[in-house]
Formats: sequence, structure tokens, C-alpha cells
Amino acid sequence: MAFKFNAALVTGIGLLAAAAPVLAHHSFAAEYDSTKTVTVKGTINKLSWVNPHAYVFVDVKDASGKVTTWAFESLSPNALSRQGWNRNSLKQGEEVTVEGYMAKDGKPLADGSIHANSRAITRADGRKVFVGSSADDVPSK
Amino acid sequence: MSKRHLTSVLSAIAIAAMLSLLPVASVAQSDAKADAKSGKGKAAQKENAADFQSASTPTPTGPAPKMPDGKPDLSGVWTPGLSFTQLGQVPLQPWAEELYKQRRANLSKDDPEGHCLPAGVPRISPFLQKFVQTPTLLVILDEGNIHSYRQVFLDGRPHLDDSGPLWMGDSIGKWDGDTLVVDTKFLNDKTWLNGQGLPHSDELHVVERFKRPDLGHLEIEITMEDPKAFTKPHTFTRTYLLRPTWEIQEYVCNEFNVDAEHLVGK
Repeated sequence: MAFKFNAALVTGIGLLAAAAPVLAHHSFAAEYDSTKTVTVKGTINKLSWVNPHAYVFVDVKDASGKVTTWAFESLSPNALSRQGWNRNSLKQGEEVTVEGYMAKDGKPLADGSIHANSRAITRADGRKVFVGSSADDVPSK
Repeated sequence: MSKRHLTSVLSAIAIAAMLSLLPVASVAQSDAKADAKSGKGKAAQKENAADFQSASTPTPTGPAPKMPDGKPDLSGVWTPGLSFTQLGQVPLQPWAEELYKQRRANLSKDDPEGHCLPAGVPRISPFLQKFVQTPTLLVILDEGNIHSYRQVFLDGRPHLDDSGPLWMGDSIGKWDGDTLVVDTKFLNDKTWLNGQGLPHSDELHVVERFKRPDLGHLEIEITMEDPKAFTKPHTFTRTYLLRPTWEIQEYVCNEFNVDAEHLVGK
């Protein structure tokens, strides 16, 4: 099926960029550093379908075989579901590349996972399937 | 996957593309031309563009529904779109301006919403609201920031003698023709009027004038007066869009609000 984008969507994108809306229940800038971008490649550990934000946990293996888990904050489950997602939209073990922003405080979550905010997830077949940014002041670039 | 869901996912993909500056414009332009050629729903598309959650969801058309007594029925699931960001220039007193400045300098780290507290009145975030109207009561159910509700009494009762301060205030409503005028008092001073921390005091008095000009639109003119925080009353408007196929959903904000301990500000 051909990809179809409509005019409303294009305008919407413009407005999204211009209006810097609050997409989250909290200030993005108070928690994440829009200048500290990160791209990690790994496998899905789990999609945690929790409020106020879903979290995408990604296992990243280094050269020595050591696995580090990253936790990427995403939109709320409600917002994701209105974009056609559900709790099974990412499969455990699936290869992904996640682009995001690091947490400002540099502290891990309670389970030890590295804390960041997701912007986009690219699946193994190259599809960029997901905008997970909960940035209320999405960087302009 | 249903067509509707596919469209929604494509919307998400497109927004993702915008965020990562992928060159979607050429694809988009060709489709824009097709839309222009067909001439279908251009006005609806324009207004829907204001709603990032549903840029591809059409707003229904038709006459506004009526209650058995002939009054407009405001019931439905409404999305504020981006109208919740529109407040205009609120005329603050110096102390409030200073507080606003501090909150912005701290990058809104202390926003009550980030701590899963109610949004108050008239603030609404992107979350949906469900209006349930009876002849004597309008109930407004907030999906978020936390589940909260407002009861707007339409049975002619006066305001409480004194109460609160309350997160959502005490609201009474009466009809002025086809406009429902809702008067809200006894609000606390803890809520912010926007995500940047626009302050108000516990003397905030809000008058909302709700009109449903047609099936798909809810127009709200909001006047705020606050003798302790503002220099004069301030009026602004919002337009909500009906989402007849959507439902408000569970949103238990404190389930995993790990943000609270990581909101460091600057």
C-alpha cells in the first residue's frame, strides 16, 4: 500500500513545530536534555504499558557481550493507542534503533536501566514506526 | 490493522519524520495537490491540523444535538487540540509576573501536573474531556492529567457559602439563550494556568461560556478575573473538536510517575 500523507497532516506538522505543545504531563526540559541526543541499537526487552508514560526497554550488548538496559520514556498509553498502538506493538527480542534524549540528572531508573526519552524507533526493516517523544518543547532540530 | 489505525500510525510516522527532519515534504505536497483537486473537506482538514493526536481524524458535521427541553446538549468526547495552549497575554501583577519568571527559569520542574496533581480550571492539557449533560447537571470528566471531574450544577442552586480552596472549584451554570454560562469559584492557588507556570491566586474567578454551534465543535469563551494576581480581567477562547469514535481511557498517573524524582529543572 502506498504511503499517503494528507494536507492536514502537513499543516499539523507545521503547527506541532510552531506551537511547542505540551505532549507530556511534565516539562520535557526539566527532565531531559535536548542537546544530549543518543542513538542506541539493541533488542526490545519489553514495552512497559504504564502511566503516565509508556517505557520502551532496550537491551544493548557491547563488544564483550555485556548487556546494558536502556529505558526510553514514550507517550502515554492513551496517546499511543490513538495512534494504533497497543501493549504488544513491540515484540521482545525485536531489533530496533532508538533515537532519544538523555535524562538531565544522569541517574538510572530504580531498576538500574539508563534513563532517556525516545524520539523515534526504527525497526529492523528500516521503518521508522514510532514517535515516542514526550517533549513538550520539541527541539527545532 | 484497520484502515483507521493504519492512518493513525502513518500520522505518527509523519510526525516522527518531521521531528527527525526527514524529507516528507515532497510526498506530502503531492497528496496536498490531490486533496486540493478533490476539494473534499478542506476546512475540516485545516482545523484538524490543530490537533496533533488526530490530524487525520475528521470532525463530524451536522446540527448540534438538543436536550428534550430544547437546550443544546454539550455531551460528547472532546479534544482540545492545541487550543489549550492559547491563553493570550494575561495581565499579571508584579509579584505574579516575578513568580511566572521564576517558574519559567526553572523550566517548569514544579508543575503540579508533573506530580500527578489535577490541572484545575480552566487549564486543560492535550487530554480528552467527556461531557455528560442532564437537564440539571453537567459532568465534565477529565482523562488527564489525573482523572478528575467537575460537576456543574444546572438546577439553580447558588454557589456554596464558602468552600475550599478546591482543585477544580465550585461550578454552577445557567443558560443564556443557547449559551451555557458556567461560574466557578473557590479555586486553590496551587494549579498553573499553563505549562510554563502562569500563576493565579485563590481569588481566581472563572466564567466559561459554552456554545455548540454545530455537532462537531464546542466553542468556549473564558473570562478570568483575579484581583490578587491580575491587573484586570482577561478573556480568551478555545475550540474543542468532537471525537465521536473515541473514548476517554484509564490514566492512572501515579502508576509509574518516575518523572517526579528526575525533574531537576535547569
